Amino acid sequence: MITRRALLALLGSAAIPTALRANSDTSLDSAFLRDRIESGELPALSKRLPKNPRVIDLKSMGREPGHHGGELQMLIGRAKDIRYIPINSYSRLVGYNLELALVPDILESYTVEDGRVFTFHLRAGHRWSDGSAFTSSDFEYFWNEVALNIEIARGGPPIAFIVNGEVAKFEVLDELTVRYSWSQPNPVFLSKLAAPIPLTLALPAAYMRQYHANHQSAENLAAFIEQYRVDDWVGLHRKLSRQNRPENPDLPTLEAWRPTTAPPAEQFVFERNPYFHRVDENGKQLPYIDKFVMNVSSSEIIAAKTATGDSDLQGVGLALPDYTLIKEGESRFPIKVSLWRRTQGSSVALYPNLNCRDDVWRPLFQDVRVRRAFSLAINREEINQVLFYGLANESANTVLPESPLYKEDYARAWSFHDPDQANQLLDEAGLSKRNSQGIRLLPDGRRADIIVESAGEKTLETDVLELVTDHYRQVGISLYTRSSQRDIFRSRTMGGNVLMSVFNGLDNGLPSADMPPTQLAPSNDDQLQWPLWGLHYMSSKKQGQAPDMPYMQELSALLDEWMVSTSTEQRTDIWTRMLTIYSDQVFSIGTVNGGLQPLARSARLKNIPESGLFGFAPTSYLGVYLPDTFWFDKEG
Amino acid sequence: MLRYILWRIITMIPTLLIISALVFTIIELPPGDFFESHIAELRALGEEADLAEIEMLKARYGFDQPMVIRYFRWVSGMLVGDFGYSFEYRLPVNEVVGDRLWLTIMVSVVTITFTWLIAFPIGIYSATHQYSWGDYGLTFIGMVGIAIPNFILALVMMYLANIWFGTSIGHLMDREYFNQPMSWDKFVSILEHLWIPVLIIGTAGTAAMIRRLRANLLDELKKQYVITARSKGLKPRRVLLKYPLRMALNFFISDIGSILPAVISGAEVTAIVLSLETTGPMLIKALQSQDMYLAGSFLMFLAFLTVIGVLVSDIALALLDPRIRFGAGKHK
Amino acid sequence: MTSPLPESGAELEHYVSDAPYDPNSIENNEAEGPLAHASQLRLMWYYFRQHRLALASGIFLVLVYISILFSEFLAPYNLHTRHTDAIYSPPASVHIFRDGSLVRPYTYGQTMTLDMTTLRRNYTDDLNDIQPLRYFCRGDAYQFWNLFESNLHLVCPAEGGQLFLLGTDRLGRDVLSRTIYGARISLTIGILGVLLSFFLGVIIGGLAGYRGGIFDMIVQRMTEVLQSIPSIPLWMALATIIPLTWSPLLVYVGITVILSLLDWTGLARAVRSKLLSLREEDYVVAAQLLGANSTRVIRRHLIPGFMSHLIASATLTVPGMILGETALSFLGIGLRPPITSWGILLTEARSINIIALYPWLLFPVVPVILVILAFNFLGDGLRDAADPYK
Repeated sequence: MITRRALLALLGSAAIPTALRANSDTSLDSAFLRDRIESGELPALSKRLPKNPRVIDLKSMGREPGHHGGELQMLIGRAKDIRYIPINSYSRLVGYNLELALVPDILESYTVEDGRVFTFHLRAGHRWSDGSAFTSSDFEYFWNEVALNIEIARGGPPIAFIVNGEVAKFEVLDELTVRYSWSQPNPVFLSKLAAPIPLTLALPAAYMRQYHANHQSAENLAAFIEQYRVDDWVGLHRKLSRQNRPENPDLPTLEAWRPTTAPPAEQFVFERNPYFHRVDENGKQLPYIDKFVMNVSSSEIIAAKTATGDSDLQGVGLALPDYTLIKEGESRFPIKVSLWRRTQGSSVALYPNLNCRDDVWRPLFQDVRVRRAFSLAINREEINQVLFYGLANESANTVLPESPLYKEDYARAWSFHDPDQANQLLDEAGLSKRNSQGIRLLPDGRRADIIVESAGEKTLETDVLELVTDHYRQVGISLYTRSSQRDIFRSRTMGGNVLMSVFNGLDNGLPSADMPPTQLAPSNDDQLQWPLWGLHYMSSKKQGQAPDMPYMQELSALLDEWMVSTSTEQRTDIWTRMLTIYSDQVFSIGTVNGGLQPLARSARLKNIPESGLFGFAPTSYLGVYLPDTFWFDKEG
Repeated sequence: MLRYILWRIITMIPTLLIISALVFTIIELPPGDFFESHIAELRALGEEADLAEIEMLKARYGFDQPMVIRYFRWVSGMLVGDFGYSFEYRLPVNEVVGDRLWLTIMVSVVTITFTWLIAFPIGIYSATHQYSWGDYGLTFIGMVGIAIPNFILALVMMYLANIWFGTSIGHLMDREYFNQPMSWDKFVSILEHLWIPVLIIGTAGTAAMIRRLRANLLDELKKQYVITARSKGLKPRRVLLKYPLRMALNFFISDIGSILPAVISGAEVTAIVLSLETTGPMLIKALQSQDMYLAGSFLMFLAFLTVIGVLVSDIALALLDPRIRFGAGKHK
Repeated sequence: MTSPLPESGAELEHYVSDAPYDPNSIENNEAEGPLAHASQLRLMWYYFRQHRLALASGIFLVLVYISILFSEFLAPYNLHTRHTDAIYSPPASVHIFRDGSLVRPYTYGQTMTLDMTTLRRNYTDDLNDIQPLRYFCRGDAYQFWNLFESNLHLVCPAEGGQLFLLGTDRLGRDVLSRTIYGARISLTIGILGVLLSFFLGVIIGGLAGYRGGIFDMIVQRMTEVLQSIPSIPLWMALATIIPLTWSPLLVYVGITVILSLLDWTGLARAVRSKLLSLREEDYVVAAQLLGANSTRVIRRHLIPGFMSHLIASATLTVPGMILGETALSFLGIGLRPPITSWGILLTEARSINIIALYPWLLFPVVPVILVILAFNFLGDGLRDAADPYK
């Protein structure tokens, strides 16, 4: 049923000459779909949107409503990186808005009682990208047929659904309402749904049923298994339902763009989802851009190709040194580049391994005076000037100023350049003897040599280490760098064979109180400063070692407290205490943060903020900035 | 003649077998395996669910079995066209490789043709005008061609081609033709991009070929029969064309054998720098991520290409040169 | 044709000299020159000298290899010296004229401004800041051959000044100094690799040629196999075997071994074919008849025959090794920082960024080209001179 408005618009546009028509496109639907609508393949817009779509008010965000059309080209370094589409499209049950508060996106609304009962209300009339209805039966399918199916979920349901050993209770209240509940609070549940790679709660049941052993005959399954080259129906189901890597063009999705190319390919084309649930304030269905094309290139030439106009939107694959070339390319090609800031807590951070095997260094690293000395010895201003043009923040490894939890004390903690105090602290810690070259001697007579290992992925780390090596020599510590490879590097750290490692700082430097503070306490075995304590936590105390340092028990206790917290105030208080301890005890040594990220785009692409925060978590690269609202202006 | 061909093909088989054993050993030697690096990466991405799939792959591809058994499975698989499974791409190797193989062959063939076309006249000129300025000049340019590292030349030319001709950076064609079937426009786009790698890879080979051709031709020109022909009054050009050139032709054909490995090697490095759609970039990524079957298949393919190339050149030489056929040997 | 042909069976005209017999006529024959009775080595040297280009290359290479011993002295700065106020500084121009007269060479001081729109550092000459160069002067301190400390340099900037003849890199390190130091690694890998190949090639080829039989066949097969595998992919595969946790020195040795593992085949074939042909020579048979055992035959008679050829072949494989190391380092799978070789210096110049904005970082390719050219010419000259009796 065509609405009167659309009919008038169509009649009107037919009467206006083409040139003017292009500028005054009043249709709420994209011309891209027009043929399919006219042939009857797709219903009209009003039938495709949910009754109550999510309205993105662009004017209030300081942006302009745009018009449909265009093909956006982006470069990726490997075919695997098509995973950036669902990350950037950022269509989530609940998501973060620009203030990092949780808002319902796919969901129409949700309620949380006591932090442990989550009731989700879906939008009426919301459909998957193939037109099938999106209802609670999709949640039910996932819960009963996947999460609880012993063949698919061999080790039990995914850990995210388990709180203190208790599996979630899932109920379908009606066609549009589902509920997950536990007897204890689960404060991390919503943040998992809003993550760049979200927790899956629903699968398109109608589509996936044909690949499930409970609903499909064995012969058909066998044919599919052969066709998709998997081993069994579990592999089949898993391969075809992978939402975080859009390799299956037939899998219905709720994201703004759906895949049309199956791998292997050098170019992956994503087309607009005709049933996407967001509209702008004028009622135009989002996304504005019709096609999102990802071109596989080699990561070394991405910067060069961007600088010569081969990309319409590029952030990944670009680093600060590439900015100059792209900026100068602005005069030759229709591109623009601006500088955003990275979201990591520190661009490069040093992690003394508190669980290392070396019996002399371990107690030294566990002595807070040594860690504070290591931090004081670094001349962050030099690092900032040399490698970041003086534009980054000299700071400890902590949250960014843009985070609601930021306090200046955290950034300043032990991060000023004071070699005298560093020397004094090291002397006090028992390293007062030096050899003829001025290098300190350990209690057992060895030189204070530290081999710093890196994952070998970024020249930035090597450069920072060159500068830091000189700084440390002034306080009598000699550093050696060794590049490794990520997996070897991690396994060696876990085995205690690495004294100190260098890596990114906090992954999420922009937390709000409602995000879990797992980075600040031992929680995971790939944390570089305390892998064994992290393993201990991760394995529910079965493996690894229990932390035995002062403040460690406190941090772990605070983390546990957060995991059962019930209110934002409680969580803010926990975060504050953890951040205070973390910065004061210098468990990792940060250098600078707010490092700059060039973001290049076509000069015709609108609604992209001039500056913002770029990173995986929590902004999901561009996700939080709503790329579905970007549009191509026909003039330059 | 047929006997000769058959004999050469038969001797090729043990060579290929030994190569496959060598390649397999090399692939297996690096410490760690694909799964460890992959697991680390998956965890960094938060894709926990796939760990179970990895266990399945491990069992299926027999990573718990001893090396010898895995080797035999690989080789027997290759004989029926199953090159194994690429863990990085989660697809059989055949599907991942796609167009890259024939594009590699195309680049190599075009480069060798280019090398011939350039080296031939220059070599003849050099030999007949020995010690002239032209000879010295061309020799010098040729030597410089050998000395410049391919990859630096590739980078600089990629940049200059963009500045001067607007050719898009890297790849063998403009991006709009990536997934499309061959058309005239796509062909033109490939040509626009192809000349860069061909020029780069060809320079070194051309220079070497010129030197060898010149040396061979000089040797021929000093022989008795040339002096006899000249003394009998044959015009110099006719002398040149009728006899020594035929010998030079022999030389060209036989030289494929020595040039082909160099061309393929050079092509790999150049392809990595220019991000071409040939085997090079994929090979180095596979080696770095220890994607065993993919890397091994590429190496086998490259070795196979070389061996076939040498075979073809030997057969062509035998066709041209009766002395080979009758077993007199082509080495002095 | 001046005279008619003689009748068949008639004596032909001939001439017999009636000068007295002089047993030393050959030695005294000045027309033949002093070479008439020169030893093999002198003959080789004579022919080699005639090849001007080879001679010049030889001298050049000797100088370059000697310079490795004095890198610290020749380089204006140390390998790791940084200047944070001179990052990506372009090459300085040295002037010798001022106001029309010849003066001591000097450069201008540089003022750096950071352009905040393009984030580019711009350097302009400060015409008031004249910095004359100093020679045999005191500069950065270094350990000479790990024996004693010194700070004598061939050329330094003026006191408190800067001298970046080839510009600086992203940390403000002088490109010229790093190139001079880089020669150490690049050139020695080439020579060591060739020595290793040489050793392997001579032994294996020698045994194959001398013994013949099954051993010969096996070696032939092996060389055929190794020569059919394209070298760079094989080097790439081998390089990824080297554990990343090895110390830089071990990595260096590992790369050298890898490079030489593929190159010995050429030498082995040459040795083998030479041995096969020389084995039948009369003088070998004569020596054997006179009672020499195999060792003496090999050492005294066979080896001098082909040693010159081997040296020529070996010289021609050094460029391949240098290019191989450069390629591997460039691709990131050979040597790694903090070792500095020309290949690693070129890796740092790998992006189009650098070529477009800071092309002086590509300078290390020039010594690579020159050294490879030199080795090629030298090898040509040696090969031409190798068989003086031809």
